[in-house]
Amino acid sequence: MKIEGTYTIAAPRELVYHTLRDPQALQECIPGCQELTLQADGRYLAKLQVGIAAVKGTFTGHVQITDEQPPSSYRLHVDGSGGPGFAQGEVMITLSDIEDGTRVDVAGEGQVGGMIAAVGQRVLMPATRSLMNQFFGRMQSKIEALARQ
Amino acid sequence: MAVSRIFGAAVKRREDPRLITGRATYTDDVQLANLAYVAFVRSPHAHARIRRIDTSRARGAPGVVAVVTGQDLEGKVAGIPTAWLIPNSDLKTPKHPALAVDTVRYVGDAVAAVVAESRAAAADAAALVDVEYEVLPAIVDQEKATQPGAPQLHPDVPNNIAFRWKVAGGDIDAAFRNAEVTVKQRLINQRLIPNPMETRQVVAQYNAGTGDLTVTMTSQNPHIHRFLLSVILGLPEHRIRVVAPEVGGGFGSKIHCYPEEAVLSYLAMQLGRPMKWSEDRRENYQATIHGRDHIVDLEVAAKRDGTILGLRGRCYASLGAYLSTASPGIPTILHGLMMTGCYKIPALDYEVLGVFTNTTPTDAYRGAGRPEATYAVERMVDLLAAELKMDPVDIRRKNFIPKEAFPYTVASGVTYDSGNYEAALDKALEIVNYRQFRAEQAAARAQGRYLGIGFSTYVEICGLGPSAVAGAVGFQGGLWESAVVRLHPSGKATVFTGSSPHGQGEETTFAQIVAEELGLPIDDVEVVHGDTARIPMGWGTYGSRTTAVGGTAMVLAARKVKEKARVIAAHLLEVSPEDLDFVNGRFQVKGVPERSKTIQDIALQANLAWNLPKGMEPGLEESSFFDPSNFVYPFGTHIAVVEVDPGTGAVKLLRYVAVDDCGPVINPKIVDGQVHGGVAQGVAQALWEQAVYSADGQLLTGSLMDYAIPTAQSLPSIETARTETPSPVNPLGLKGIGETGTIASTPAVVNAVVDALAPLGVRHIDMPLTPEKIWRLLPTA
Repeated sequence: MKIEGTYTIAAPRELVYHTLRDPQALQECIPGCQELTLQADGRYLAKLQVGIAAVKGTFTGHVQITDEQPPSSYRLHVDGSGGPGFAQGEVMITLSDIEDGTRVDVAGEGQVGGMIAAVGQRVLMPATRSLMNQFFGRMQSKIEALARQ
Repeated sequence: MAVSRIFGAAVKRREDPRLITGRATYTDDVQLANLAYVAFVRSPHAHARIRRIDTSRARGAPGVVAVVTGQDLEGKVAGIPTAWLIPNSDLKTPKHPALAVDTVRYVGDAVAAVVAESRAAAADAAALVDVEYEVLPAIVDQEKATQPGAPQLHPDVPNNIAFRWKVAGGDIDAAFRNAEVTVKQRLINQRLIPNPMETRQVVAQYNAGTGDLTVTMTSQNPHIHRFLLSVILGLPEHRIRVVAPEVGGGFGSKIHCYPEEAVLSYLAMQLGRPMKWSEDRRENYQATIHGRDHIVDLEVAAKRDGTILGLRGRCYASLGAYLSTASPGIPTILHGLMMTGCYKIPALDYEVLGVFTNTTPTDAYRGAGRPEATYAVERMVDLLAAELKMDPVDIRRKNFIPKEAFPYTVASGVTYDSGNYEAALDKALEIVNYRQFRAEQAAARAQGRYLGIGFSTYVEICGLGPSAVAGAVGFQGGLWESAVVRLHPSGKATVFTGSSPHGQGEETTFAQIVAEELGLPIDDVEVVHGDTARIPMGWGTYGSRTTAVGGTAMVLAARKVKEKARVIAAHLLEVSPEDLDFVNGRFQVKGVPERSKTIQDIALQANLAWNLPKGMEPGLEESSFFDPSNFVYPFGTHIAVVEVDPGTGAVKLLRYVAVDDCGPVINPKIVDGQVHGGVAQGVAQALWEQAVYSADGQLLTGSLMDYAIPTAQSLPSIETARTETPSPVNPLGLKGIGETGTIASTPAVVNAVVDALAPLGVRHIDMPLTPEKIWRLLPTA
């Protein structure tokens, strides 16, 4: 499954980059995120409560950030599994300056398996998009509020 | 015998009142004291190594009694066996542990079982079993799976090829050398999901005091399940009772031996509590067998006048991740041997590769190999007709095995018992009014409307079967069937069959058979099935065998009862047995009909035994074990009439005519019902149904939201008619009718759609013929 999206945030690129990398901000903005703890190996241990179509449940997994090019881009790896099956994905997040702030491009691939794949396939794309929109919507509010401070 | 009113009468199914008023008892209705509930943890990956399973969170969850993994079962629960070891092949039988131990091989492969106080607690705790997987590359396409470099499922099965099997007869090289025309085609027979109304269910109960294990389960063959459970659990066969209470359909999917009943039995024995598992629909889609899934390349050799000289090809049959109970026999014995259909095709050369893929195992699904064969040959005949610009009816007539030729041995070596293919075709043509349709079709085409007609002149092999042949083709069981007819002192009868009807209506038809033979009111005959503690040894219900084999055992047992009753009647009436006529349940002295004894009188006297012929044993109960001398080969002509909407590509089925020949019909209402249901499933394969896997092995059609089964509004009123050609292999001349609908209908529909689109140059479309697929072929697209 392709994951793609473009968002604009009215804030300087450095602030956007920093906040998008900040564990506290991530935990607050990732929909259903109950825990996000940095581990010794540099990965974050995450616990997410997610519902797609009729499938709801808790995922436990890891979030890892690699290929960091501050304040321009990084690669985000997510994998998780739980009662509803598993999900994994890898996206490139690229930031660029635009007239009134920062443009964020998200592009990558995701896979799901188990019950989510069996039941939610038809709604998976819109559900993923909706989760992403929620995430960036929250990030946008947070970052723009910080920028105004 | 006088013309009867019971045999051949459209008696209403006696099963139905309880079924449609909610009074039937299914396995899931069974409630026992101290019952515990089991949920299975299943792999979300198509192929992965199990690194670690942590059951601690699940064990600590509320209401959890126990959690077991594959390792816990090692040495205690043996692997799941296959029961069809086809000969003349290099069949590999890789291990199939009841719960995966180190590797999972399909999405749905069970890795652990959770026992809890409620179904909900078990399901919740199952989600807490932490399994760490190392994901491996997966393969779902059975042709690609055989190629070098493909992911390997089993260490001892190179290139994932479970077997290569070949059927050949006649001189295929000469056929192609002498051919004036050849036609080649690849045909995809897509994977299907069986979808009985009731999913699989198990209740296992163990009495440590007596050592008896009772397994109530959704079974089409309780004795086979008992035997296999005995092998898997190491428990003596006589200590196991398998009960199939009401079973809500199976379509083949409840023949097989699955891990769940073995695991539940083990848990019941270990934990000293009865266990219940209720499969839900999503689980059923992953954990219960699928059907079909063939990729077939075929080539037909013919003369310009339409005479078919030979057929050759290769089939890649996907077996899924493990061998299921009967799976090796389905694409070979029940498929390859029927590849020449109802035609006198002198040469056949057909190879079948059974291939492991990272998918749910496949096995017998209604028709089991014969729908695939019929689809293949009936499509090839139409393709040849198109190539030769011949009418599809003419080419069929030209190649039919003529009625005088029976019994007829086809190139594959099997001998068709009886047939009259032209009679069925003629009747179907008359019903559909073929000439008039062609005129309407031409007129419609002139208006830009696409009407089409499609034929399927099928023959199938069923009434499984002669036990010696079963042995010769590697089936690890017999295929005879048993019956007991018991007359009580009051003259009422209880009859027992070793077959195991689960929706087909044999409680009604078998009562008709016995009532007919013994002159009893039909309501005085009770038919018992589905419990190894009550019924005689028998092989169950599948392969359209129940009536042809089990029904024959029933009639033979009833005739033995009648002969004993005749001797008693003669003794009481002081005449010799041959001086008695048997009329409407009454033995009467020839010429003096008022001197008589009813069958009820005799039943009483036999059970009292106050005055029996010298040396005769008391009682009026007989059994029969019938082993047929051959299979039976029902046949017929099915015709589909369709219209394709050029705007949307949607296919509308305008008419469906089914003319079937199953020999003498015991109950036309039930035969119609079997044909209706079978046709619905076959039409559904042609137009809608398909189990779809992603390339990495996720089942994308994982629920009824995405897997399109037909509804009542999907189908026209099916027009049924029959011809009657008795089989010589059983005394009533019966042939099976349980699967003909699915066997005949897919090519009829596809041939009709291709006929409709022929003006656009369409030659072939693979099933299912979805609107999108067709729309892309239309000029407007």
